[in-house]
Amino acid sequence: MTKKILSLLSVLLLLAILVSSGCGGNDQASGPDPGPAQEGEETPESTVVKVGMVGPLSGGAATYGQSVRNGVEIAVNEVNENNEIEGVVLELLAEDSEGDWSKAANAFSKLAEQDKVNVIVGGVLSSESEAGGPIIMSAQIPTISPSSTATGLTVGNPYLFRNCLSDEVQASQLAEYAVTELGLSKFAILYTNNDYGVALKNAFEETAGSLAEVLAVEAFMDNDENFKPQLTNIQQQNPEAIFIAGYYTEAAKIAQQAKEQGLEVQLLGADGFYSPVLVEIGADAVEGAIFTAGFHSGDESPAVQNFVTKYRELFNEEPDMFAAQAYDAARIVIEAIKTKGTTPEQIREGIAETENFPGITGNTSIDEEGDTIKDVLILKVEGGAFDRIR
Amino acid sequence: MFFQQLINGIVLGSTYALIALGYTMVYGIIELINFAHGEIYMFGAFVGMILVTVYQVPFFIAFFLAMALASLLGITLEYLAYRPLRRSTRLAALISAIGASIFLQNLALLIMGSRPYSFPSPFVSKVYKTSFVTVSKVEVIILIVSFLLMLGLTFLIQKTKIGIAMRATAQDKDTASLMGININKVITVTFAVGSALGAAAGVMVGIYFRSVTPMMGLMPGLKGFVAAVLGGIGSIPGAMLGGLLLGIAEVMGAAYISSQYRDAVAFAILIIVLLFKPSGLIGSSLQEKV
Repeated sequence: MTKKILSLLSVLLLLAILVSSGCGGNDQASGPDPGPAQEGEETPESTVVKVGMVGPLSGGAATYGQSVRNGVEIAVNEVNENNEIEGVVLELLAEDSEGDWSKAANAFSKLAEQDKVNVIVGGVLSSESEAGGPIIMSAQIPTISPSSTATGLTVGNPYLFRNCLSDEVQASQLAEYAVTELGLSKFAILYTNNDYGVALKNAFEETAGSLAEVLAVEAFMDNDENFKPQLTNIQQQNPEAIFIAGYYTEAAKIAQQAKEQGLEVQLLGADGFYSPVLVEIGADAVEGAIFTAGFHSGDESPAVQNFVTKYRELFNEEPDMFAAQAYDAARIVIEAIKTKGTTPEQIREGIAETENFPGITGNTSIDEEGDTIKDVLILKVEGGAFDRIR
Repeated sequence: MFFQQLINGIVLGSTYALIALGYTMVYGIIELINFAHGEIYMFGAFVGMILVTVYQVPFFIAFFLAMALASLLGITLEYLAYRPLRRSTRLAALISAIGASIFLQNLALLIMGSRPYSFPSPFVSKVYKTSFVTVSKVEVIILIVSFLLMLGLTFLIQKTKIGIAMRATAQDKDTASLMGININKVITVTFAVGSALGAAAGVMVGIYFRSVTPMMGLMPGLKGFVAAVLGGIGSIPGAMLGGLLLGIAEVMGAAYISSQYRDAVAFAILIIVLLFKPSGLIGSSLQEKV
């Protein structure tokens, strides 16, 4: 029995050796000719510029991060497909932060030290960018956040830029608009207790408090489900409007629960409202809500519509403000590479000198602090869609 | 204002009580903390939401179907993850429970994605106003349904044959089986009933807070466990009382202290109660078995 198996094995082994050596011979005969020639054409001329991206690709704020990645991806594809920059190929490296600032810090370190990226688009949430700021400053990697709106984020960090309006500008302009244009005079504020919510709350409270009255200020946490205690406290004060300083999921739930308990007020918000999910979950409870935004996909200019069409084709969904601001941020980086060069230092110079860049989120300039200068749009939910009212 | 917050607390607390019952029943019978219970609650909410939105099933039928399917999930879970470990150490079963919890959570994330789904209100939203409190129709329904479910459970345990078998098994598994009680059947029924209650809580919270997500079972699961411990784990009236107290404490903490510390307030109360009464509020009848 064992003899039989042994002889069978040895025959198989012999066959295997014959076949493999035969194949090897063939490979050597035909293989080498085209291989090196192809490599020789590409390697010396095209430089690979690595574009990092940090944001929440999973978790509660995942739609923000995914939108940012998609927006950057469209810009990167455009450059690579049209060979837009002679001899430069862009490579996108996206890192998931899960919306957690400590994981975002790790992602920034990984991109800067391990992957040696030339430039980073991100972080998405303000807390992520604040965690990443010192890391990219010491690594000297220029970073442009498409959406971190915390007040004073870019001050004192020559490598950190952003392409979005600060929370302060949004909230104080909204408060002004609510008082002068909407004629509201009694406000309540419900804010999410993170950098974003606190900055919005402070600016809104200051402006609204000087022009009119702020009757109640209540806080909540991200991923909260139950807002009844806060809404009951607010209802006691009889305000005309509630400013919700938070993101779309919580805003929609707050709207639903406010309606459920018979609290009929004007809902106000900031750019955290801008997502189709707001209307999906909020339904008729968010009807009439007014909020600030940096982008509106209903805009008819060809540049906006070109982006919207490409986005729909590639990702089969409507682009949001995050995708648009990320696309513009990536485009500002591409402009910088075109005018200055591909090293991190050259890209930093290019971004810092951005002046009247015709982006799809409006004409954008970068000031000496690395902050952006742009107009605030004000949108309103009407018939389940967003309408621009200013 | 105080009474308004009290009602908010009782409504929230009654859902915690339903979740806590699932924990306490299972613990009473096999001394296992079924950490996957929060995911059964989440499963119930998803089944209810999908039946109502996709299949246009009338709400109350969807509600009972969600309870029935969650029972099946509970039975399957017990059969696959806990029964093979019944004779091994309690730690092994506990770890299996944590594993089942993570598995179900990630399965839901994989199938449904991470975004929240809207649970449409099955009722025309209506608000009842009196001079000092406002109650919505959903809140009234949650209170009535929770009360009826708890009443039904008490009847099941006190008056029926299977209830007597359950109580006997909780007291002494081996003696009960010598008396001719089919332990496996009792455990299956316990998981089925506990899971159905959890799913009922999930569906009701879904229509109350109007959204359903794969991660929604995490915090309520933990709170249900805390409520069960607060009342005295293994005790059915304890779970009901613990759930109500926890809900009220949480809402009062949010309303009068700070909405950011509401979980801290709830857990601080747990610690204080356990310091003075380690067996929980109604846990005195529970004796340490040797």
